Amino acid sequence: MGAHISVPMYQRTVPQRYRLVANACTQCGAISFPPKATCPQCSVGREFTPVELKGTGVVYTYTVIAGGGAPPEFTAQARSRGRYPVVMVALDEGPKVVGQLVDCDPEDIRIGMRVRAVMRRIYVEEEVIRYGFKFRPA
Amino acid sequence: MREVALVGAGQTKFGDFPQKGIKELFAEAYAEMLSSVDKGLDPRVIDAAYVGTLGSGGFQLGQVAPLLTGHVGLTGIPSVRVENACASGGFAVFQAVLAVASGVHDVVLAAGVEKMRDLSGEKSRYWLGVSGDTEYERLAGMTFAGIYAMIAARYMEEYSVDRKYLSMVAVKNHANGVRNPKAQMRKAVALEKAMGAPDVAYPLNLYDCSPTSDGAAAVLVVAAERAHEFTDRPVYVLGFGAGSDYLAVHDRETITSFKASVEAAGRAYEMAGLGPEDVDLAEVHDCFTIAELIAYEDLGFAPRGGAPRLLEEGVTELGGQKPVNASGGLKAKGHPLGATGVSQVAEVFLQLRGQAGDRQVRDPKVGLTHNVGGSGGTATVFLLGRD
Ligand SMILES: [Zn+2]
Repeated sequence: MGAHISVPMYQRTVPQRYRLVANACTQCGAISFPPKATCPQCSVGREFTPVELKGTGVVYTYTVIAGGGAPPEFTAQARSRGRYPVVMVALDEGPKVVGQLVDCDPEDIRIGMRVRAVMRRIYVEEEVIRYGFKFRPA
Repeated sequence: MREVALVGAGQTKFGDFPQKGIKELFAEAYAEMLSSVDKGLDPRVIDAAYVGTLGSGGFQLGQVAPLLTGHVGLTGIPSVRVENACASGGFAVFQAVLAVASGVHDVVLAAGVEKMRDLSGEKSRYWLGVSGDTEYERLAGMTFAGIYAMIAARYMEEYSVDRKYLSMVAVKNHANGVRNPKAQMRKAVALEKAMGAPDVAYPLNLYDCSPTSDGAAAVLVVAAERAHEFTDRPVYVLGFGAGSDYLAVHDRETITSFKASVEAAGRAYEMAGLGPEDVDLAEVHDCFTIAELIAYEDLGFAPRGGAPRLLEEGVTELGGQKPVNASGGLKAKGHPLGATGVSQVAEVFLQLRGQAGDRQVRDPKVGLTHNVGGSGGTATVFLLGRD
């Protein structure tokens, strides 16, 4: 079975995964993440300035994935640590993103709680460690 | 635009069929569709075929449509695979309706098929996730259940809704499935049992999820002006609509409503000159229980946050004012991805003609079908009626 996110596909999004690099629309100023070809706010802007997001925001919604239901590339993680929480975060700059929540008991997660992004190891596939952002309580 | 009618429908039983592949499943649904045409059908009059399938786990990636239509002896005609994840079937019907409405074709086969049970659990989990946003959602360890779970958690928060209402959908649809001989799950479930099942992705548990299924369905779409060549009781396509949205749920302004569904329903209602109050029964996309609650609101059956009340009052039960998923829905009838949207249309076809047996809704005049791709990236809605 091949990788879900191949190394080249992963590599192209390293600025987003390592540093949360978003697009600021030169037409309307709206910030979008992940970057898109046309600004989702004004629907006309197609030129952007890259901006680094702070990675802070609030939990918009969440789930706790049961260990047995994890995608294959996450089964090793699920096997060693069991169920794991994933949050959708409304970032302070506007965009929403999805990432795992660490250093927090699943019972303590609340919609609206403040979190911040941290760089973490996501998983290993094709013998390459994939790093990216997760969140932890702020 | 020409008026469009349905004159035949068939489907396999949904479930686990180790002895049948996609060709056998497709042929079985096709044969039942043929025999359902009251005045008979010479297959040589079929002008075109649209086949919805997500890809059957990669067994046959290219040219699935001619593989299947050739298997049942339909060659020479345009035969096209239609893919929009779990809405592949709905979009196959949509393309068939467009082809007839445009005047290009008179008699078109719309079918769907999926073979999901051949896959190992691991491959199934690998494969199913690929219709979501793989780049970002998937890299966070998300699954389809996880995405719907996030939608459920947000819905419960926004409208202060108890988890119990999710389980009530499972209880209702399982009760209906008992009455449907084509359903995969034919066992009633008590509310306490549905509520106490093990978590798959909090707040969703095992009973909130539709099963993986093998199955196929087929309908015959014709120009209304020729419908009486085939039957004296055609079902008419009163309105149809489709919509789409950002694939990744985090890109959407709200996640407690699907823009794709709202757009699809709005177009279908407008074309038909009907509103939600005119719908006598509906087959909606309940891949997860939360999806049925959101469908009530997106289709206008209830105001925002009002779906739990419909369940509380029994409005959408089989004997209620507006039965939803009389077939058992995806939850109990089963969810062979590409077949689902076609099967919904087949169910309403039977219901409107009074042929739905133990699960027959009393004298319906207008039925609605609602099919969603993945977590709301696409959707189709059909409004069907009779003379
Ligand atoms: Zn803009």
